[in-house]
Amino acid sequence: MVGAELLTPGGIQELTAALQRATPSSRLLAGGTDLIRSMHQSHWEPDLLIDLSGVRELDYVRLEDGMLRVGALTTFAELQADPLVRRHARCLAEAAAQVGSAQIRNVATVGGNIANASPCADTVTALVALGAEVRTIDGGGRTTTRPLTQITVGSGRTSLAPDEAIAEVSFAALGADQRTTFAKIGSRSTVTVARLSMALVVDYDADAMTLSGARVALGAVGEAAFRDPRLEELLEGRPANNESARLFAAGCTDAVRRAIPGRYSLPYKQHAAVGLAYNAWNALGLCDRCEPVWG
Amino acid sequence: MRLSLNVNGMEHELDVRPTARLIDVLRLQLGLTGVKEGCSEGECGACTVIVDDKAVNSCLVLAAQARGKKVLTVEGLAGDDGLDLLQRMFIEHGAVQCGYCTPGMLMSAKALLMADPHPTEEAIRLALAGNLCRCTGYTTIVAAVRAASEPPAEPATPPPEPDREGGAV
Repeated sequence: MVGAELLTPGGIQELTAALQRATPSSRLLAGGTDLIRSMHQSHWEPDLLIDLSGVRELDYVRLEDGMLRVGALTTFAELQADPLVRRHARCLAEAAAQVGSAQIRNVATVGGNIANASPCADTVTALVALGAEVRTIDGGGRTTTRPLTQITVGSGRTSLAPDEAIAEVSFAALGADQRTTFAKIGSRSTVTVARLSMALVVDYDADAMTLSGARVALGAVGEAAFRDPRLEELLEGRPANNESARLFAAGCTDAVRRAIPGRYSLPYKQHAAVGLAYNAWNALGLCDRCEPVWG
Repeated sequence: MRLSLNVNGMEHELDVRPTARLIDVLRLQLGLTGVKEGCSEGECGACTVIVDDKAVNSCLVLAAQARGKKVLTVEGLAGDDGLDLLQRMFIEHGAVQCGYCTPGMLMSAKALLMADPHPTEEAIRLALAGNLCRCTGYTTIVAAVRAASEPPAEPATPPPEPDREGGAV
């Protein structure tokens, strides 16, 4: 095996210089929890490995003009604990807290979660519900910004060019009249890969006890996390009560059916969607706890 | 490539493959075989070491990514005055069966106690969630970590003891 060359840029300028040398067989390395495992298991090595972990200026969380800006190298452990994220994007903190183990959360990054493009990437589901945009930088030093959903185009596939690195994700910080949560179901309670995940952001009119708007993202159903407009319309203008929870859960089942018709996992996931919908709904704390009626 | 690595307080100048994982360098080049390889994919935690005060799967990071950082393995836990309190509590509580998971368990627990000296039982279980024990001896492991972290019993006790944990903290 010909050993890969490893570049370890220590800042943005060195990063762009390194990116100039990237080919389609090169890889960018952040936390490494997906890439190093896959290199080890497949005995495949890229021609060039660019280790981003030394580019410390990409590790930050900032609130600027109502936008929350998260550097690509921010780890899940940092997201989970960050006061700005917990206050203005709680679904993202909750998603980060549910990724893997403490060991993984200590090194794995939000940029890596996006670039790895797993359909069950927890923070991607949350970021899709938050309407996140992604800023990238390439070998020519050019920066571009596009919606996250245009980056994660399929399972393991992104629209990122070989010489393009994720620099930042940003989205409008949630305010006091918005409620949000992330929920997932896996094969066990912790250190688990999502079989189904959901992030919810609702605009809540507390006086009228009514949902004036909603964004719903589903993950681990199909190629990449997505928002479902029909599901969102269904919640709009609904009162916060048990009947709305029931409609929402039924809507989630329909959304799963639309997303993966005929897939072997559909019978399980359309059922799991009901439980997940109730978990998420109850976590919003809008009304008394609602329970699904099975049968 | 040349790599300077600080492991258990000692500086090493090494010649490593650029894509060598931290676990490979620790075990094969430095002989620190207390670092165990189990699943090679971040599920089992047997390879857990502490890098700059944080528990990390050494099978999922490159050795080169630990450049300029401080790596602590189970071999570095004991101080000049003997075993770390955590190690002694593992022995006292019978928290070791086959022993393969023990170094990883110790390092995850150590990282937890470095960040939070008095964790709740839930925090202990969460911190150890990424460490699998196939002998299923979790109850005694959690008890050992609790014992190592027990806050001094209230008013009647003398002032806090000096740090008993050697140089590892």
